[in-house]
Amino acid sequence: MSSRELDGYRSGQPAQLADVLERVLDKGIVIAGDIQINLLDIELLTVKIRLLIASADKAKEMGIDWWNGDPFLSGRNGQSGLEDRLRRLEEKAGLPTSEEG
Amino acid sequence: MAAAPMREDAGGWYLYGVVAADAEAPGGAPSVDPANGVVSLGEGPVAALASRVSLVEFDEETLPQRLADAGWLEEKIRAHEQVLEAALASTTVVPCRFCTVYRSEEDLRAFLAGHADELRDALATLEGRVELGVKALVDPARFSAELEAASQATSGRAYLEARREEQRLGAELVRFQGELAANLHERLLAAAEDGVSLALQSREVSGRDEEMLFNGAYLVGDREKFEEALAEAAQGAREHGVELELTGPWPPYNFVPAELGRP
Repeated sequence: MSSRELDGYRSGQPAQLADVLERVLDKGIVIAGDIQINLLDIELLTVKIRLLIASADKAKEMGIDWWNGDPFLSGRNGQSGLEDRLRRLEEKAGLPTSEEG
Repeated sequence: MAAAPMREDAGGWYLYGVVAADAEAPGGAPSVDPANGVVSLGEGPVAALASRVSLVEFDEETLPQRLADAGWLEEKIRAHEQVLEAALASTTVVPCRFCTVYRSEEDLRAFLAGHADELRDALATLEGRVELGVKALVDPARFSAELEAASQATSGRAYLEARREEQRLGAELVRFQGELAANLHERLLAAAEDGVSLALQSREVSGRDEEMLFNGAYLVGDREKFEEALAEAAQGAREHGVELELTGPWPPYNFVPAELGRP
C-alpha cells in the first residue's frame, strides 16, 4: 500500500495500460491537415486497434480490452448513433462488422 | 543489400506534444523509434517534442499490419506516454494523440506557426496544473454478501418474491453508484480547475476483483487542496466499502482542445 494510505485513498501504483490507452488513443490534441495519417485514419486506427486487440489472446494477457466498458463500443447509454458510426468505419476499413456485445 | 524491395524513406516526424519554445527536450525517455531520440523543434513561442520516424513504419497503408503485432503496439504506446511523462517532470506540455506523424519538418513547423496562438493559450491554461485521475472501486463480494443476506431473509417466501427483492437490490445498487459518482465528481470538481467523467473500465481491464463505480480526470492547480478533498471523500466512501484511488500526474490529455487545424 502507498504512503497515502493514512489519508484513506490509494495512490502511487504504476500506470495501468488501460489508463494509458484510454488517454493516448482517445484524448490529446488531434491535428487535422497536412499529416501522414489524417483525422479519419486516426479514428479508423483506434477502431482497428480495438478490434485487433479484442481478438488477440496476447492482448488479453496484456489487459488491453478496456473498451468492454466503453460506451462507444459496447453501445451502452443508448448511443446507437456511435454504433452506426463505428460500423461505417469498420466497413471502410474492410473489417468484419462488430456484433452486439 | 536486403532482398526486400526498398522504398524511398525520407523519414517523417512523430509529434508527442507541444511545449514552450524555451523548454528542453526530455532526456532518457525511449522514443517510438529507438534509433532517433526526442528533440525540441522551436517555432515562435512554442516547440514540438518530436522524433524522426520511418514513414515506411508509420505509413497509413502498412500501419494496419504493424498493429497486428500487439507487442509493437504496446511498445509504441508506452513510448508515447513515457516521452510525455518525462517532459511533464520539468515543463508544461500539450499532449498529442497517438500516431500524429508529419511527413516533413516543414509540415511540422507550418503546423506550429499556424496554430501558435491556440497552442500558447493551451499551454497557458495548463501552466502549473496537472491532470490527476480518480477511480472509485468496490469489492463485489461485499455487495453480493449484502444481496445474499437479503435473499436469506426472504427464504420463506415464494421464489418470485425473492427475485423481485433481488431486482430491487440490483436497482438499489445502480442508484447507489449514480449517487456516489455524482457526489464524488462534484466534491472533487470543487477542488480542481476542471474535471471530466471517463468511461468505466471493466474488471478484466483493471485486472482486479473490484468493480469500478467511477472514473474521473481532474485538472488540478492546488494539489494539497485536491488531495484534502479526496481524503475527505475517501472517508465517506469507505463506510460503504468503496475505495478511492488516485493516479497521475498524467500529461493533461483530457484538458486540451480536442482538435486543431480543421478549417
